[in-house]
Amino acid sequence: MTGELRVTWALMRRGLNEVLRVPGASIPGVLAPTIFLLGLSAVFGEAAQLPGYGTTNFTQFIVGVSLLQGAGFTGAATGVNLARDIERGWFDRLLLAPTPRMVVLLGIVGSAALRCLLPVAFLLAVAFALGVPWPGLPDLVVSVLLVMGFATAMACWGTVIALRFQTQQAAPLMQAVAFSSVLFTAAYAPLDLLAGWLQVIATINPTTYVIEAIRAGFITEMSLEQLGWAVLADVGMLAFFAVLAIRGMRRIGR
Amino acid sequence: MPAIETVDLQREYPARRGPGLRAVDGIDLAVAPGEVYGFLGPNGAGKTTTVRMLVTLLQPTGGRATVAGYDVATQPAEVRKRIGVALQAAALDLLMTGREMLLLAATLHGIPPADVADRGADLLERVGLSAAADRRVGTYSGGMQRRLDLAMALIHEPEVLFLDEPTTGLDPTSRLTLWDEVRRLRDEGTTVFLTTQYLEEADQLADRVGIIARGKIVAEGTPATLKAEVGVPHLDVTLAGEDHRDLAREVLARFGDGRPPTEECDLSVALPDGSAGLAPIVRALDEAGVQVASLDVKEPTLDDVFLAKTGEHLEGAD
Repeated sequence: MTGELRVTWALMRRGLNEVLRVPGASIPGVLAPTIFLLGLSAVFGEAAQLPGYGTTNFTQFIVGVSLLQGAGFTGAATGVNLARDIERGWFDRLLLAPTPRMVVLLGIVGSAALRCLLPVAFLLAVAFALGVPWPGLPDLVVSVLLVMGFATAMACWGTVIALRFQTQQAAPLMQAVAFSSVLFTAAYAPLDLLAGWLQVIATINPTTYVIEAIRAGFITEMSLEQLGWAVLADVGMLAFFAVLAIRGMRRIGR
Repeated sequence: MPAIETVDLQREYPARRGPGLRAVDGIDLAVAPGEVYGFLGPNGAGKTTTVRMLVTLLQPTGGRATVAGYDVATQPAEVRKRIGVALQAAALDLLMTGREMLLLAATLHGIPPADVADRGADLLERVGLSAAADRRVGTYSGGMQRRLDLAMALIHEPEVLFLDEPTTGLDPTSRLTLWDEVRRLRDEGTTVFLTTQYLEEADQLADRVGIIARGKIVAEGTPATLKAEVGVPHLDVTLAGEDHRDLAREVLARFGDGRPPTEECDLSVALPDGSAGLAPIVRALDEAGVQVASLDVKEPTLDDVFLAKTGEHLEGAD
């Protein structure tokens, strides 16, 4: 393993400490999307009887949304943790190392991809327990990879805000974007059934395409076209927020 | 080649309106390899800003600085390879163990895994943390955290070590342990740049001291030279009562220049010959019938140097 890979892995592993050593710290990130999944399934369950849902099981329709919510919360938490590291001086130690800044950034945001597997695993267990059918291993694996990509993109956003404001008080800004990027999509109703303004936003919101691909995987089968759009959306979001994060890293330390 | 050199180093923080705040205002320094350089000044004098520029965490807004021969502004990566840094607040992850922290620091500095275990164990032994190595850092005392911070700064055997107020907030025992480690590093040839607001710390550890106030160096030299520059020892006299104050003043005037009394004494007189000049004064006071409560020979301190140069006392001076 090269030095850069070792540093990236070491920082990713450090990011897992909070999950492994303070399990309680993960509860909000797991609980919130689970409550949404359970609550919305109970309240809007009958909506799936309308044409366009592709299934009569509302939980099956929104399971992908919950996975992305879990990933979004995890990504935002990465930003909060970075802000805490900045406040406590730990981030200075990273900046004082001769490691390239890109490697430091990769280690920080890469940990979100791993950490999001905890809410994903829990939510999948809850969904299957509620009767969501098994989507098949290939679609499940692809869905999880798409969710990991989304978590990394949101971690980049959290990093941008943490580097800009350097305080945990900016946490709501990190969470708001992660939350609204999932909310203003075809999350709870098919695109065609959305009200005018929401339909416009959902159509241009790249997260919609990630949700639709994962949803297709859980309801029928993810087509190559859906996968292509989802990957493009994931990579696009990741690239956009990563560029901002890299700029932030360059601003805070050469 | 100096281990650290600055020429007209400046750092100005912009203000929304009007001129910015110049935290460091044209500092010239030359620290020789193997030297312990004490950077002494009160809070807000510019010590930490200077250190943050020298360790590449902050870009200078004027002048230039080199560390280990590399320019901090244009060759920061080269500088980082050669420096160890323990900043004011021990930067530690409370969820990790001491050993894990050292391994992570080694990884960050590109030390091959095969070399890490032995070097880490040696350092943990050296800073007295072997027994606590596998405990989470969150359970460490403040002194233990500072020692671990120091060990992490040394993991890659840096040429130049920056210690930013390393003993602030520590108990006396931990402070002495850290002082011993700094002395050992000096004996091993490591250049140490030590900022402190404690006079005694600078006096005890530094080969040379730079005194900074309001972003400028106001005095520089060995502690002995600086103290000699500002004055001679003096004798503080506290009388047993108020009756003989004028008489005592007349007696003391025969031996040297009087000094203004302080809260701690009634009268004070210069002692150009140090303690050797004490006996005749004691005899003269006794013969004159002056009743004395206490006599105290005071050597000049770095605070006197600071007072002479700035008109103010250093915080932490007593």
